[in-house]
Amino acid sequence: MTTLVNVARYHLVDPLTYLILPWGVMVFSFLVNLAIAAVVPPSAHGYYTGGLLTIYIFLLICGTLSMTRSLPFGLMLGVSRRGYYLGTALLVVLLGALDGLGLTVLQAIERVTGGWGMGVHFFRVPWIMDGPWYQTWLMSFVLLVLFFLYGMWYGLVFRRWNLPGLLAFIAAQIVVALGVVIVVSVTHDWPAIAHFFTTVTALTLTGVLAAIALTLGFGGFTTLRRVTI
Amino acid sequence: MIPPISTTALGRRYGDQVALDNVSLTVDPGTVTGLLGRNGAGKTTLMRIITGQEFPTSGAVRVFGEAPAENDAVLRRMVFVREEQAYPDFRVGQAVRVASWFYPNWSEELARQLLADFGLPLRRRIRKLSRGMRSAVGITIGLAARAELTLFDEPYAGLDAVARQLFYDRLLADFAEHPRTVVLSTHLIDEAADMLERVVMLDRGRVVLDAPADDVRGTTVTVSGPATAVDEFVAGRAVWHRQQLGARASVTVAGPFDVAAHAHARALNLSLEPLSLQQLLVHAASLAAEEKVSA
Repeated sequence: MTTLVNVARYHLVDPLTYLILPWGVMVFSFLVNLAIAAVVPPSAHGYYTGGLLTIYIFLLICGTLSMTRSLPFGLMLGVSRRGYYLGTALLVVLLGALDGLGLTVLQAIERVTGGWGMGVHFFRVPWIMDGPWYQTWLMSFVLLVLFFLYGMWYGLVFRRWNLPGLLAFIAAQIVVALGVVIVVSVTHDWPAIAHFFTTVTALTLTGVLAAIALTLGFGGFTTLRRVTI
Repeated sequence: MIPPISTTALGRRYGDQVALDNVSLTVDPGTVTGLLGRNGAGKTTLMRIITGQEFPTSGAVRVFGEAPAENDAVLRRMVFVREEQAYPDFRVGQAVRVASWFYPNWSEELARQLLADFGLPLRRRIRKLSRGMRSAVGITIGLAARAELTLFDEPYAGLDAVARQLFYDRLLADFAEHPRTVVLSTHLIDEAADMLERVVMLDRGRVVLDAPADDVRGTTVTVSGPATAVDEFVAGRAVWHRQQLGARASVTVAGPFDVAAHAHARALNLSLEPLSLQQLLVHAASLAAEEKVSA
């Protein structure tokens, strides 16, 4: 356990990548959106942005970096691949919980202030992040972890098989998605899919996303086991 | 006693390329072993397999009696400083601080001393350091870790002669106080020669020499003098190299040379000059190359 904690601390020893940049970029995006909202004519539906996505994308990048740039020194320090992966996963859970809490608090402020006084929806996402605070926290947590683990897997595929492997990995995902589309089309199940998405509760959706996150984590772990540096 | 490193018929191929071929080695505890050989001889691959960073295609490796790959208990007892070690975007001080968490025998005092000796700026980002200074970061971590098994792979790329001497001095001084097993791969053989107790030489993935350094040093000499006298002296010995200039010859022959042989040489008015470790290995490599050609 000490090793896992040390690996998590290893990533955070330079706070720039995992703490300052994700929040810095998102806050910048937020301020830009506020500025725009202040000058455009107010709309009856409020002002919606996609700016919240920046922090998720940034965590995806963090995940990739943790398994590429940080890996050689991590393994130099007498840590097994398993220890390195689990220690990084510990960091992911920690960051997901903390960042998710931050987003939840900001969302509460946004709600109380009527969208920062301008009807801005930056931290509120209709339906998936618009419920009670604990639901927002849970959903943010799961999504942040999912993006980070997804990034980790990309980084590991690149480390192990380089660019051809990376392209094959992306191609494989497209093929899987295509397979799903074909199967659903052939079985005429589109109404069932539509039914699922229109009736699913935010909590169920969170569960589905958590299952996907676990799958991504397991995939990355399997890829790491034979990575060489 | 369990040897810190033992390998049995270790092999590693990359496609058609044979990086390691049937390498069987045992490293005794508390010794300094020099891992020598030309570029591409397999030194780094061997060290990577020992530290579990690479996987063998055949054979087995035991570190402290156990397989090292994915074995935390074994891995934390060793430190491996690579040539051109890659670091995250850390400052010098951050890298050293992180390393201190992972090594149970870490010496903060030694780390500080080395940082000062090498003049490493703690606040500077590692990527902004010169090549030599980057090497010094690795050396600092490798020595201060005081790991039971310490592996250095060409640790001093870009380091100047003064800093290299500093590395040798500090390594020997700390080694004397805190014995450990050291494996050092290097091209600067003569520089490191005094420190090495054992030399292992690899050539195209095979072990071509594995012997105590003292045995190796005395074994081969260059005999120079009048050609006829030289020929008389070297008769019946394995001649490695022969050079003749007029009536004088200079021949490199394998030993051993006992007291009688030395007396014989004196009587013939010949000079016997032992080969330095480096010259010896250059010869060993060319012999290995010839064997390869004839085979």
